[in-house]
Amino acid sequence: MPALPDLFAQALNGLSYGVLLFLLSVGLTLIFGMLDVVNLAHGSFYMLGAYAGLTLIATTGNFWLALVAAPLVVGGIGAVIERSCLRPLYRRQPLDQVLLTFGLIYLFEDLVKWIWGGRIRSIPAPDLFSGSVTVLGATVPSYRLFVIVFGLGMAVAVWLLIERTRLGSIIRAGVFDAEMTGGMGVNIHRVFTGVFAFGAALGGLSGVIAGPIQSAYPPMGASILIPALIVVVVGGLGSLKGSLVGSLIIGQAETFGKAWLPGASMLMIYLVMAAIVLLRPQGLFGRPLK
Amino acid sequence: MIARLAAFLVLLAAAAAFPLFAGKYPVTLLQEILIWGVFAMSLDLLMGYAGMVSFGHSAFFGVGGYVAALALTAYPGTLSALALPPLAAGLAALVIGFFSIRVSGVYFIMLTLAFSQMFYAVAFQAAWLGAEDGIVGVPRASVVGINLAQPMSFHLYLVALVALGALFLWRVVRSPFGHVLQGIHENESRMQAVGYAVNRYKLLAFVIAGMLAGVAGALYTQLVGSITPDAFLWTTSGEALLMVIIGGTGTLGGAVLGAGAFILLQSLVSSYTERWMLILGLTFILLVLFAPGGIVGALRGRVGLRA
Amino acid sequence: MNRMTRRTFLGATSMAAAGTAVGPWVLRAQAQGAPLKIGVVLPYTGVYAVLGESITQGMELVFARENWTVAGRKIEMIKEDDEMKPPVGIRKTEKLIDSDKVDILTGPVHSGILMGMRDKVHNSKTILIVSNAGADVISRERCSKWIFRTSFSNWQPNWPMGGWVAKNVAKEVFLVAPNYQAGKDMMNAFKETYLPAGGKVVAEDYPKLGETDYAPYLTKIKQSGAKAVYCFFSGSDAVNFVKQFDQFGLKQSIKLTGAGFLTEPDVLPAQGKSALGVITGHFYTPLLDNPVNKKFVADFKAKFGGKSPDGFAVQGYDTAEVIIRAVKAVNGNTQDKDKLVAAIAKTEFDSPRGRFRFDPKSHNVIQPFIYIREVREVAGGLNNVPIDKVADVTDPGTGCTLPA
Repeated sequence: MPALPDLFAQALNGLSYGVLLFLLSVGLTLIFGMLDVVNLAHGSFYMLGAYAGLTLIATTGNFWLALVAAPLVVGGIGAVIERSCLRPLYRRQPLDQVLLTFGLIYLFEDLVKWIWGGRIRSIPAPDLFSGSVTVLGATVPSYRLFVIVFGLGMAVAVWLLIERTRLGSIIRAGVFDAEMTGGMGVNIHRVFTGVFAFGAALGGLSGVIAGPIQSAYPPMGASILIPALIVVVVGGLGSLKGSLVGSLIIGQAETFGKAWLPGASMLMIYLVMAAIVLLRPQGLFGRPLK
Repeated sequence: MIARLAAFLVLLAAAAAFPLFAGKYPVTLLQEILIWGVFAMSLDLLMGYAGMVSFGHSAFFGVGGYVAALALTAYPGTLSALALPPLAAGLAALVIGFFSIRVSGVYFIMLTLAFSQMFYAVAFQAAWLGAEDGIVGVPRASVVGINLAQPMSFHLYLVALVALGALFLWRVVRSPFGHVLQGIHENESRMQAVGYAVNRYKLLAFVIAGMLAGVAGALYTQLVGSITPDAFLWTTSGEALLMVIIGGTGTLGGAVLGAGAFILLQSLVSSYTERWMLILGLTFILLVLFAPGGIVGALRGRVGLRA
Repeated sequence: MNRMTRRTFLGATSMAAAGTAVGPWVLRAQAQGAPLKIGVVLPYTGVYAVLGESITQGMELVFARENWTVAGRKIEMIKEDDEMKPPVGIRKTEKLIDSDKVDILTGPVHSGILMGMRDKVHNSKTILIVSNAGADVISRERCSKWIFRTSFSNWQPNWPMGGWVAKNVAKEVFLVAPNYQAGKDMMNAFKETYLPAGGKVVAEDYPKLGETDYAPYLTKIKQSGAKAVYCFFSGSDAVNFVKQFDQFGLKQSIKLTGAGFLTEPDVLPAQGKSALGVITGHFYTPLLDNPVNKKFVADFKAKFGGKSPDGFAVQGYDTAEVIIRAVKAVNGNTQDKDKLVAAIAKTEFDSPRGRFRFDPKSHNVIQPFIYIREVREVAGGLNNVPIDKVADVTDPGTGCTLPA
């Protein structure tokens, strides 16, 4: 049996990985929950965020500026995509959205390769968090502690925005009944564009945040798509709370799986998802299926 | 009806005779398109008719491919080439389907994905399956007395099997069983209320689709002489899914057209430009925006509403 | 179709027969007419596109030097993107063999694609010069008269490292590699010399390929009491592992060593200072002090916008050099494949990595040296500085019997 400090160290590893997963998936959850669109190109927004962040850091030398500006850039791209490509598809069968977002994956992967080249890059951790610290006997990179705090803060902020602001209530109303909200004098098209742009910006933000831990390369978006989808499904489609809890569960399961069952590391995330979906077909916090 | 059958026979004859007037590489491309066509058609049975969008259909393609590789290496013959792969794939579909049909929509998509990725993980790591390099050097056996090492006999064997698969699926979707599936697609609770054992129908459709995907996988192994874990990967399912959507869901024939369009785009464009992904991506986007209903939808629009 | 093939086949052989009968005159005329077609199957998209690019650039450097002609024939490179997917790679191989009718085939990066190509080229008697994929079996049980390898077998960079690490770094090591056969093969090659030299493997771990979070493994490494880590990672895995190893503060207490791919120039810039002090074994580093390499590095930088060459570029360079020399040796006659194979097998020259030659037993390159390299800051940034070397590393070639 592993010693207690080991357990603690691994639990902390799991927490930081789980929070990172939450940041990767929260934009996907929002877009799904609000617009009923499975955005397979969410990984592309993550990738665009990482590359925009790289360029911003290279030109300004400031990580924090990139953390703010890169998501804005990606949000802008998201808005353009929503208005030009997605809007005509809301009333069509969902498979059309699959084809569209698949197309975007190919398109953005090649565009990024064209602009930035195919070489693997990475974002250096900001100086403030470049070392490692010891917490109760466990060594953790200080940047990971920052990610934990930042991610949990984001969870609270997004929750407040949706549940406690006027804008949030308009969005929720629009999702509930688009036509009625439109009749109340709210420009529902603008709301949808805004939600999609916000989800895209969150994807871009996760790209910058993950940059110092993971590397950036053109097909990186495809590699995070599956974990992000799994988190969303485990938590329950469209549920913000679910995507946080789902991330934390997957984070711990993967971490302890790697530590104790190394042979099953490829399987772990799928086993957890299959078990949860079979036991609770609507995910942890999803609306019950009819 | 007669016209359709005639068109089918003409196409069949053209495919069978293709090697007489085309080079070796175009023939290989056609063979690949036909195999992917069967695979995509089997997925279309689920997606287009039963309304079950699966992201794990690669599991059955892979099982068929691997079982064919193992069996043909050990006992080259009819049983190994034709019987075992679909049986094994059908069995896998029975197990996966048993669990997966309990959920629907995105949950169904993700659960099927999870199962296929589990197969991938096992194939990637199992030494007896050749791990990441897969199984190579699979011989083309003699099947029902025909020596498939002969290129032309292999081609005819492949075309015949593909045609049989297509006819079989065509019969299925037009049978009472197929109508029930479409009924489930349109309104599941109504079918339930009328007294249909909905889940049993869904499971049967899943197994039938799995068996045909297994046939496609086995044919693929025989075509290239090897099979690798990538066959199980979610991208394999994703490509089949794209083929079905590009061609037009719920049309069967569209799946083959989609397979053709996808493979030709991928193979021919990438020989001319490194930017092929950009072109592929743009094509998808333009297609979805301006040709709803896929290639078949566009063709119907052009021909008028006769079809 | 069969009749067609047979007829063209007969036509080709009778023409070749006529050529040999009439003598060099006819040969020359025929040779000048037809370009020398070289089929290239490499990844040009995806994570490994940078490898495909480096290998291609290495080849182009040599062909440009020869003005794209050899023995009176124009050189034509037909590049195909294999996307690192075996089905695509095999399809492209068939295109190059059947449709383009290439004289010589080179590539791939992916071992799975190589395994799929193997029977195609073996049965069609197409000459394949492997320019990257390291699957050991291609030099062993599944070797072929028609297949050569200029790059390496996976065994080669790892085998010398075991003894060296035991002697110079630590006797207690933690092994890490991706969970697939090549990763395990490399760790086993390391153990072949590490254990006899008195080394002890404290523990080993095999994370999944494409892992993004190594934290659980790093915590285990820290707790294990190992004095060193020996690992194999490449591409994004190499970047993530080296960076996270440093971020967890392990660099101060545990020496990181590995197979050369860990710190090749395709990943080194992204690793940055995290890679400082990492020790790896590889057949090349751009800092080698020999005249051929100095010229190679200068020419490469001049041609490709200041880009420093890596081991992959050398693989491409040597592949092209082998082709040029062998085709010259047979006066441009690539119809007589047995003669061409014999000429390739005999090719020997000074490569940037040292004296290049094939092992006649397996057609795999004999590594003139495996260089032990340490990542240091030198003029022009981080680089792999050679600190020691092991000479003449030859794959055992167990189970390979080539027809004489």
